[in-house]
Amino acid sequence: MRSIKLHTTALALIAMTATGAVAADSYGPFPVTLKGYAGDKTNSVSYSGQIARHALHDSLKKAAALGNGGANAAEVEAVMLSYFNGSDADLDILAPKSKDGFPIKQTTVNAISKGKNISGKFYGGAMPAWPGNGTGKDAVMHMIKMAAKSDKGFDAENGYDWGQVISKFTMGAMMYNQSVDNYLDEKLAADVKPNDKPYKDGAYYTGKEHSWDEGFGYWGAPAHAMSLTPQQAYAIAKGKDLAAADANGDGMVDLKTEYVFGPAYYAAGADKGGTKSTNYMHTIMQAFIDGRQVIADAKGEALTDEARAQLKAHAATIESNWEKVLAEAAFKYAGSVYKDINKMAEAEGEDKAKAYRAYVKHWGELKGFAMALQSGRNNLGATAVELNNLVGFGPVTMDNSYVTGVDAEGNFVRDRRMSWNDYQLNMLKTQELLKGKFGLKSLANDQLAELEALAGKLEAEASAETD
Amino acid sequence: MDYFAEVFGDFWDPKKRIFFGYLILSLAIGLVWLVAVKHKSLRAGLAQVFDRQVFLSPSAKADYKIFVINRFFTMFISPLLITQLSIATAIYYFLHGIDGLQKGLFADAPTALVVTLFTVTMFIFDDFTKFLLHRWMHRWPLLWAIHKVHHSAETLTPITVYRVHPLEGVLYGLRSVFVQGSVIPVFLFFFGGGVDLVTIVGVNAAVFVFHITGSNLRHSHINIHYWPWLERILISPAQHQLHHSTAQEHYDKNFGVALAIWDWLFGSLHLSEKDRDLDFGLSPEEASADQLLDIYLRPFRDMANVIRRRVRRLGQRLNVLRGN
Repeated sequence: MRSIKLHTTALALIAMTATGAVAADSYGPFPVTLKGYAGDKTNSVSYSGQIARHALHDSLKKAAALGNGGANAAEVEAVMLSYFNGSDADLDILAPKSKDGFPIKQTTVNAISKGKNISGKFYGGAMPAWPGNGTGKDAVMHMIKMAAKSDKGFDAENGYDWGQVISKFTMGAMMYNQSVDNYLDEKLAADVKPNDKPYKDGAYYTGKEHSWDEGFGYWGAPAHAMSLTPQQAYAIAKGKDLAAADANGDGMVDLKTEYVFGPAYYAAGADKGGTKSTNYMHTIMQAFIDGRQVIADAKGEALTDEARAQLKAHAATIESNWEKVLAEAAFKYAGSVYKDINKMAEAEGEDKAKAYRAYVKHWGELKGFAMALQSGRNNLGATAVELNNLVGFGPVTMDNSYVTGVDAEGNFVRDRRMSWNDYQLNMLKTQELLKGKFGLKSLANDQLAELEALAGKLEAEASAETD
Repeated sequence: MDYFAEVFGDFWDPKKRIFFGYLILSLAIGLVWLVAVKHKSLRAGLAQVFDRQVFLSPSAKADYKIFVINRFFTMFISPLLITQLSIATAIYYFLHGIDGLQKGLFADAPTALVVTLFTVTMFIFDDFTKFLLHRWMHRWPLLWAIHKVHHSAETLTPITVYRVHPLEGVLYGLRSVFVQGSVIPVFLFFFGGGVDLVTIVGVNAAVFVFHITGSNLRHSHINIHYWPWLERILISPAQHQLHHSTAQEHYDKNFGVALAIWDWLFGSLHLSEKDRDLDFGLSPEEASADQLLDIYLRPFRDMANVIRRRVRRLGQRLNVLRGN
């Protein structure tokens, strides 16, 4: 009996190793396939420009908290804009930074990649979720201006946490948009960046290889993400699990290949929280790896229609799951806002102020993700209108007023009021809308879950027992 | 095999009255009653509990067929029940929209209290709405046309509880949806997260007690009665049997399921009558005890007649108004 068990274990191990060898389980290295390349490069993977943009984004969020309430506004705005527009100077990475037991290899943006910015890659389409009738880029410029005037990124009067709103919006307006609406969309066409030519003159990678890599770079997962649990990925983004992050064992975290940035972090967060029934991080990661393998298998020839069809299928998987990740995050924070309102009602004095601060933070994340969702390839149509009506331009503030627009100078106008109960109802409806429209499964902080659980437990009687 | 499990599943489901455990307990209670209280011999007691003339009567055989046939109709009722959650959500939303209504007003109440209160409230609301609907079934001709199917039984067995027209099944299903859909959101709104149901084998504890104390004997020929004071609080099997009686003085009495207080309040309570032999059923002009086609179709004809009569009367009244 025991020997049979041992044999089965051995067989299972062999089987596991065998399958592991077939499919790539890491994003790179992939061979150089460019025809006629004579250099000494052996790995064609390259997406350091996108990682530099992640660092610019994390730093911009950090810089949003530098204000002292107005006195240093011009200075803070200049700092924020240097990260947003890029700079000739080598900018310090404000975040992520080394922590005790979690040393990070790069400390400046140029150490990752030179000459990069956020502004050139920011969503320029209409953004009706923000007052002022402008584009996505107009909205973020307005946010930066307001953040610079705020007190440590917090505007209590209007109810904004600028670091949160700007950061979460950017995760859609730059990362998600660039990846799904550019690199995984137009750049997959046969005659754009073909695979039998270098991406640009002198490059060692082909047009399609690098296009796919750039799409991957914006996703923000480390190359070895398939071997990480959602818990580990989450911990890495919090600067905690060096052992899990340090894939090459050099004792430090290389931002280029080993760190977990925003989009991947929220995918891991959805997988590890809520109903724990989702696998967004690995699904998206596997699709990126499999797509890259399709390109590598073409060995430097132009992609066949069949290969491009496979790529498009992987791109569709990435897009739909990424969209769900953004919607799951918005769903979760709508639940937080709902709960925060309960907490505020119970709290007094200083505790109330603290609860309001948390409420504004969570609302900022909700708003940012709601805007991120509207920065993708697809026009969400009526769903976007409904979402924007429910969430509003700003949260209900302490005196029950909320932002309804901006004046000609760009200052916020709050000329309407709403009760806390009504705003809580809006949050319930926001959750219902997101859940239904995007088919969400993780559903962290689901404020209707108890209602559903009780209803399920009681089970209305299907048969009539009559007396 | 799956079909078999589907049709007879209620015998294995503790949420159902005819769960085999409840049936065995009811048999035991019936037997103890006959032997210990009625001083019958064990043999005579067994003979009465398993009376062939009851269980194999044409009326009882019709019950068994209806039991199987109605399973098919249940499939059409089930989708209605999804609306329960929609009603609950709508009411929950509605409560949020009322200014000045304080959400979580009793959120600090001890969990044990909240859970007990919820369980008792569910039970009472369920029981009261069953009483109300049952009363309407007897009082409104349109509904009586449907409910007659149940009262056409000439012998009563635990399976008679399933002797209902499918339309009645729909009405009872909607009642259940309405009760649960309204009690759940109100509790969650005022009591917050701790709301839960006390259950035993998955059933509301109060319903469980109702079932293990012989709920199946309500439809039987064993006329267990309680003390008069208790029959004002709980409906005894004998009181429910009296509800099925053909005697005129027993018409429209004892509509209650578990609690007798509703009948008491609404003036329809009738205490059991010791040692009175009752006849069950309806006259053949009203309903058939064992013809299935008649059982399923006559309600439609009767309803049509009721409606036709109403329309005619309305026409006459309009004519009077016009001065013809």
